[in-house]
Amino acid sequence: MNFWEKLQKIDRRIIYFLLLLVIIIPQFRPIKFKPKAMPPVERLFRYIDNIPEDKALLISVDYSPDTEPELHPMTYSLLRHAFARRVKVGVLTLGILGLGLAEDALKTVVKEFQGKAKTSLDSIIYGRDYVFLGWQTPPLVVLLGMGESITKVFPVDYYGNKTDTIPFLQKIRNYRDVSIVVSIAGSAVPFWYVTYAQTTFGVRVGAGSTAVQAADFYPYLNSGQVTGLIAGMKGAAEYEELVERELNVKERRKATEAMTSQTFAHIVIILFIIIGNISFFFLRKKKR
Amino acid sequence: MNTDFWVLVSAALTLGIFSFLYKDNPFYRFCEHLFVGVTNGYAITFYWHRILVPSLINPVSKGERLWLIAVAFIGALYFTRFIPRISFLVRIPIAVVMGYGAGAAIPRVIEAQIVEQMKATILLRSQFINPWTGFSFVLILIGVVATITYFFFSTERKGFLKPISYLGIIFIMLGFGASFGYTVMARVSLLIGRLTFLLRDFLGVIH
Repeated sequence: MNFWEKLQKIDRRIIYFLLLLVIIIPQFRPIKFKPKAMPPVERLFRYIDNIPEDKALLISVDYSPDTEPELHPMTYSLLRHAFARRVKVGVLTLGILGLGLAEDALKTVVKEFQGKAKTSLDSIIYGRDYVFLGWQTPPLVVLLGMGESITKVFPVDYYGNKTDTIPFLQKIRNYRDVSIVVSIAGSAVPFWYVTYAQTTFGVRVGAGSTAVQAADFYPYLNSGQVTGLIAGMKGAAEYEELVERELNVKERRKATEAMTSQTFAHIVIILFIIIGNISFFFLRKKKR
Repeated sequence: MNTDFWVLVSAALTLGIFSFLYKDNPFYRFCEHLFVGVTNGYAITFYWHRILVPSLINPVSKGERLWLIAVAFIGALYFTRFIPRISFLVRIPIAVVMGYGAGAAIPRVIEAQIVEQMKATILLRSQFINPWTGFSFVLILIGVVATITYFFFSTERKGFLKPISYLGIIFIMLGFGASFGYTVMARVSLLIGRLTFLLRDFLGVIH
């Protein structure tokens, strides 16, 4: 077996081990990255930045723990952005497994803002500034029902409070009062919002997606059906950068922290692809 | 090292799943089955407490909205799958769900995924104010036409169809390449997430 044949037959465990090393080592000495926001991320940021006072941002936490490292930083950043700009936020989920994640993000970000608040005006108050609607099923009923009445679809919020008594929901009654719905998902849920909520009620839709799915969203971005897109951990890091730079919100940036490992892992994978291709072409030439 | 019970459980399960990278083993199988079981258990609990009790059991037990009994009966027909003699009855709830789903979906899917997407390929004079944007829209139009031509199987690929369908293959390959790149990024992100958990939350060796 010559050198090129050996290269074609590298044990996959060696590749896993190398990947493990290039991911772990940078965690001890991270390089400081300043991600530059790409147009889809910037567009979503600018849109949310200009939401009028009487409208709300609806965040649909449609992912489960298996995609948490990619998507959870997006929820944190969107909440930080909205709270810093005093935009009203409604949070819901179309999947049961999103409940715990949505609650965790809300608790963490509200705590960050409460820690800095000096008066009740600075505080982020449940029922006034945000509401956690929780989960309801089936998704089709939720997507179409919220166009008529949010409180009819969610008679009680996540904590069991009657929603028609919550001040937030007396002002934000249906999609007409919602400036944009941002669905963060590791699946096709943002498309459901486009297909059902947007075509029927005209509500704007933004998307936060796993990188695997990102390519599927670009046609919708191009057609204007999706206002902005945060794609994968890199997109989350870009949004974190915008929130810190433009709003001076300095909190832990989980996606940005992971960028050093991500970069080195990509370099290793690219090198393996190049080596694999070179050896493949050499062997093919030899066979001929 | 963090000695919190749930962090230890979480770390053990993460390592159990990672052990598959070496080879299939009973510890991996245990973690996999536990995940499926816990997920289903969690879902069933929520369906019971958040849907069935408030939307069906409570009103019916108070004598309100009694028509829900008929709906619940149709839904319960799903369980006839377990009784071979009457298992054909499962078709009734499936037909209801399919009819409702298809009726709601078909016009909206055509609108959102065909009409709006076709509109996006129409070139407008305003798109050429910025030459780069104009070029992008022309490229999209060429890509759409070439790719659709590649999937045009009604006639042999001869004459002008041949080069256009070849161009279609190039666009499809570029699309696959972009998807593959994104997939690599996604998988690495998830690995980073678990390793960060092990190094920070479990072992406490990074901050």
